[in-house]
Amino acid sequence: MTGRARVRARGLCRNLESRNLGQSQASSWNHPVVCDSEASASTSLLDTDRIPQRFKGSGSAGDGAGNTLIQRGGKTWNSFLELGIHTREKLAHVRDCKTGSSGAPVKLVTNLFNLGLPREWHLFQYHVVFTPDLASKRLRIALLYSHSKFLKKAKVFDGTMLFLSEKLEEKVTELSGETQKGIYVTITITLISELPSSSPTCIQFFNIIFKKILRKLSMYQIGRNFYSPSDPVEIPQHKLSLWPGFAISVSQFENKLMFTANVTHKVLRNETVLEFMADLYNRKDKSHFIETCEKELLGCIVLTRYNNRTYRIDDIDWSVKPTDAFQKRDGTKITYFDYYKQQYDISLSDLTQPMLVSQLKSKGTDSGEVRIAHLVPELCFLTGLSKRVTSDFRVMKDLATETHLNPICRQQRLSRLADNIQRNTEARFELETWGLQFGCQVSLTGRVVPSEKILMQDSICQPMSAADWSRDMRHCKLLGAQRLNNWLIVCGHRNEDAAESLLSCLRRVSEPMGFLVGQPKIIKAQENTAAFIRAIQQHVNPDVQLVLCVLPSNQKDCYDSIKRFLSLDHPVPSQCVLAQTLSRQGTMMSIATKIAMQVVCKLGGELWAVEIPLKSLMVVGIDVGRDACARGHSIVGFVASSNSRITRWFSRCILQSTKSDIADCLKVCMKGALNKWYRYNHCFPTRIIVYRDGVGDGQLQTIVDYEVPQLLSSLRDSNSSYSPKVSVIVVRKSCVPRFFTEMNRTLQNPPLGTVIDSEATRPEWYDFYLISQAAYQGTVTPTYYNVIYDDNGLKPDHMQRLTYKLCHLYYNWPGLIKIPAPCQYAHKLTFLVGRSIHREPSIELADYLFYL
Amino acid sequence: MVDSHVRGVQVKENIKFTPSLSEQRHKFVLDFVRKHKPQKVADLGCANCKLLWRLKYHESIEVLAGLDIDENILTRNIYRLHTGAGDYLDPRERPLTITLYHGSVVEKDPCLLGFDLITCIELIEHLEAKELSQFPEVIFGFFSPTTVIISTPNSEFNPLFSGKTLFRHPDHKFEWDRTQFQSWALDAARHYGYSVEFTGLGEPPPGAEAVGFCTQIGVFVKTIPNTVKSLHDEKTIECAHTTVGTVIYPSLKEEKYLRKAVSNEVFSQILKMKRVLLESLKMKNDNDNSDELEFVKPKCDESKNDPTEEIPKPFCIENVFYVPLERLFSFPKIKHLCGDLETLKMLIANEVMLSSDGSSVMINTVDEEDCDLSDNDGDDLRFV
Repeated sequence: MTGRARVRARGLCRNLESRNLGQSQASSWNHPVVCDSEASASTSLLDTDRIPQRFKGSGSAGDGAGNTLIQRGGKTWNSFLELGIHTREKLAHVRDCKTGSSGAPVKLVTNLFNLGLPREWHLFQYHVVFTPDLASKRLRIALLYSHSKFLKKAKVFDGTMLFLSEKLEEKVTELSGETQKGIYVTITITLISELPSSSPTCIQFFNIIFKKILRKLSMYQIGRNFYSPSDPVEIPQHKLSLWPGFAISVSQFENKLMFTANVTHKVLRNETVLEFMADLYNRKDKSHFIETCEKELLGCIVLTRYNNRTYRIDDIDWSVKPTDAFQKRDGTKITYFDYYKQQYDISLSDLTQPMLVSQLKSKGTDSGEVRIAHLVPELCFLTGLSKRVTSDFRVMKDLATETHLNPICRQQRLSRLADNIQRNTEARFELETWGLQFGCQVSLTGRVVPSEKILMQDSICQPMSAADWSRDMRHCKLLGAQRLNNWLIVCGHRNEDAAESLLSCLRRVSEPMGFLVGQPKIIKAQENTAAFIRAIQQHVNPDVQLVLCVLPSNQKDCYDSIKRFLSLDHPVPSQCVLAQTLSRQGTMMSIATKIAMQVVCKLGGELWAVEIPLKSLMVVGIDVGRDACARGHSIVGFVASSNSRITRWFSRCILQSTKSDIADCLKVCMKGALNKWYRYNHCFPTRIIVYRDGVGDGQLQTIVDYEVPQLLSSLRDSNSSYSPKVSVIVVRKSCVPRFFTEMNRTLQNPPLGTVIDSEATRPEWYDFYLISQAAYQGTVTPTYYNVIYDDNGLKPDHMQRLTYKLCHLYYNWPGLIKIPAPCQYAHKLTFLVGRSIHREPSIELADYLFYL
Repeated sequence: MVDSHVRGVQVKENIKFTPSLSEQRHKFVLDFVRKHKPQKVADLGCANCKLLWRLKYHESIEVLAGLDIDENILTRNIYRLHTGAGDYLDPRERPLTITLYHGSVVEKDPCLLGFDLITCIELIEHLEAKELSQFPEVIFGFFSPTTVIISTPNSEFNPLFSGKTLFRHPDHKFEWDRTQFQSWALDAARHYGYSVEFTGLGEPPPGAEAVGFCTQIGVFVKTIPNTVKSLHDEKTIECAHTTVGTVIYPSLKEEKYLRKAVSNEVFSQILKMKRVLLESLKMKNDNDNSDELEFVKPKCDESKNDPTEEIPKPFCIENVFYVPLERLFSFPKIKHLCGDLETLKMLIANEVMLSSDGSSVMINTVDEEDCDLSDNDGDDLRFV
């Protein structure tokens, strides 16, 4: 980093009084973790977006009483928050039995392990009081632990609550002790409760025990997961290290306490912030160095080399360098250089580097004082994946190869973990003192529900593979396609040929589909956003059915502007294609086919159907997304079927501040959906099934207590005599269990349509797992369905099969998908609005799948 | 042994030291370590392990041991010594093993044999008379390290504190004045073949200079080296201490970490060179003027000041970029890590593609074909 420009963009020196580089244990890690599974990988990797905004006005310490104190993603374990929510007991038809029966049984291996406990096992919870009161938690713990009564006994004490596996003789026990300072202290220990193993506190307690055990196996805790840093997978070409690890938990499953372990990976970067900056400096236009540097780094989580702590970069102070002095807590002044030399024996090599500024988390009941720490770039490692990296297809591909493990590798890692737990003496001791027995891996029986036939206009096809029936339907007519007469193609000057060839291909593929494509008006425009919008503005009129744009480059703003204009100002369905995509040899026909089908949907057509035995059933999908620009806003996507065949959809999207409850806008959406249904069917649906996706950790209670009643009352409001039968199902794309099936002597993903509704489910819920998507790489993540409200009274079998049927109806993909189609549509809608439009799309488009 | 709050001096209101006396004592040990670079260091009465934690950052130390009579305090503080992510991302050059033992300082345990430095910071004043009498035999006679640092309160300083208690801490069994400490120390040194020098920390306030330092320190240096034989004999004695925990740090002495460090450095240099090359090619294409050469040249040698003329330069044949190993080896960090060219070749052989004669690393300059369309789900956005 020789001769690097020393930029002093901001002259002010910052006050460092509050600097605090304490030495307590690394505690809070909140950066993205790559989950190994197909589906969760994509969402987790984008986690960087969730890092709270940069704090403004970092100024001097202590100036901002209460200004923008950031809540760092205090994720709590969802399974804890959801303990104690009992929805099944209210559902009479599944109180005794919630399992289905149809389909072929299939033997499945799981990632669950039995945990044995003696009969009549109880955990004894005591409340501990010290007189005189000791402020220091550490002192309280030390005093209690050193008491002879508790030596060699299984105990957990947090300073107030004491857990024992054996009951003390007395309900109230008085002990005495003496601190090192010679203060005589009385310890009063009072029994509060005897907890059975299934109680929520106990479950939480078991989780703590297992965390302790994994630590004993020299695994390293980051966030909630445990990793083995000693067996890293290196991807040097991207400067990445992957640590293999596990997400573990203990939960009460259907009839047993079980331990689950899921393979995960932690992505770490072999790059210090200083190296990153130097790299950026050499790469980018130097005049914009500061700007790009801040853009890339602010919000990143860094790991300091010397004390294992993580910090978020909130600012970069270009005016401070390592040779500058700061004030230590004891009031003495020292330069950064000397400080690191003295404290950690580290000699900084670059004396001109700027300082990273991080706002420290305020501890508990703080006065709201903002404390900041200055960090030396040379000593900070970048963690997680930057936005630039996640958008790099090559990096993601290399990452996927390492992280998407197939069932065989997964099983190997699981058995190794189980082995380690059973063999390690310390781990075994920990288990034994509490009376826990680590049992064998759980096998169970699932069912493969019958496959579905795909109904086309004049034929019924039984696809070879439910994962992809594009071949099977090649010569079949689509269910219903409007004629495309009046439409525009807008393309750049240089892409006229591409547009022409696309047009001829479109016509060729659309004819056998039964989709008639008329001659469009082809408009050539300058290759810039403004010119495109102008061209569209000039030529679009109320009769235009579709605008197809051939975009010269992959510029987000051009796409966004077109989508915005055509869904807000002048609502017309639109289709965008990249010119580059059309230039690829040999793929034109398949691209044209895909575009043709999308266009049919966007015009309000139907592609295919499956048999739906229930008449007058409306299915609804709800998803909640975020606005990429306006933080603090959530986007509610609501998609409801508007015919009995479930081929036509009514879509609404509502933006609202995160504070207000999602249920509030459901009323509006529901009303619109019912009206639409009435218009097409001249009656109201007798059954409504709502699939609710996008449920965050710990939100289940709100949905049960608030959202469901709101939804029901909104139905009643629409017509007093109208009372449809309603079911509400919470859909979760990520869940703890994994299932493998043994086939031809190796482990594989279970077949499509596998349902698991026993053992790995929860006793207090009407729930099941369904595997409805094929994983080409890695292990499939089952989708978890929890029926929280149901007066439809469908048999579990029917509920499961209906759900499976709905996974066939996503028109953007001729095959099964992992969630019911209405949820995927709702997701797609919120995605488009959150990424490009940022406002509620025109209601005129509500009848079309314009967002595909 | 003693709670962390109390381990520091019990300075009553009127006298305060900045930095605190306990910090000064730690600094004293650290400065000593920095100067003498011991490899094996033990802290007796390590209590909250803070001194060990400070010591673990020192590259010279390969073995670090802590001993305390209170097992609880060790189990609760061992976390301070655990490895962290940073230790794996940027491993130490030399190995480090930290072990905590539970036991008495007057037990002869072979695990503390052969140390370069043993520190007993504010320890001896906690020993009962009997233990104190055994102490010199164990530490100087048996453990017999090259150097010993012993610190203890100077009772002459006590009147300057306003408190009324006899000792600075309730657990202290005695507090010595300078004469007492020095005669005890000189006796022990003489008996076991050590020389001793006295110093202290915590200057008395003006006017009270006569009382001496608040903490008195004796630094013992062995004058007669151990014979290998005697060490060997003593090792056969049974262990008296129980091990509370052992932490092994990753280091570049282990091949897997060395391999990682080398390949990371190699890749980062290759990618840097490749970028310079691609930029210069682009410049050539974009505008065919003469300053293009000027642009490339200084950047190529940016990090080096030694003459690069003799070292083979990276070159390009069609779309393949070749970086001679010799060139890579000329980077000081790579040279330092590998030692010789053969090691470099061996370490990176699995990570990179080598040219047929094995003299250069090959890398493609043309990026692979972008995203394959055939396996996507046909979303509109994918078409964009």
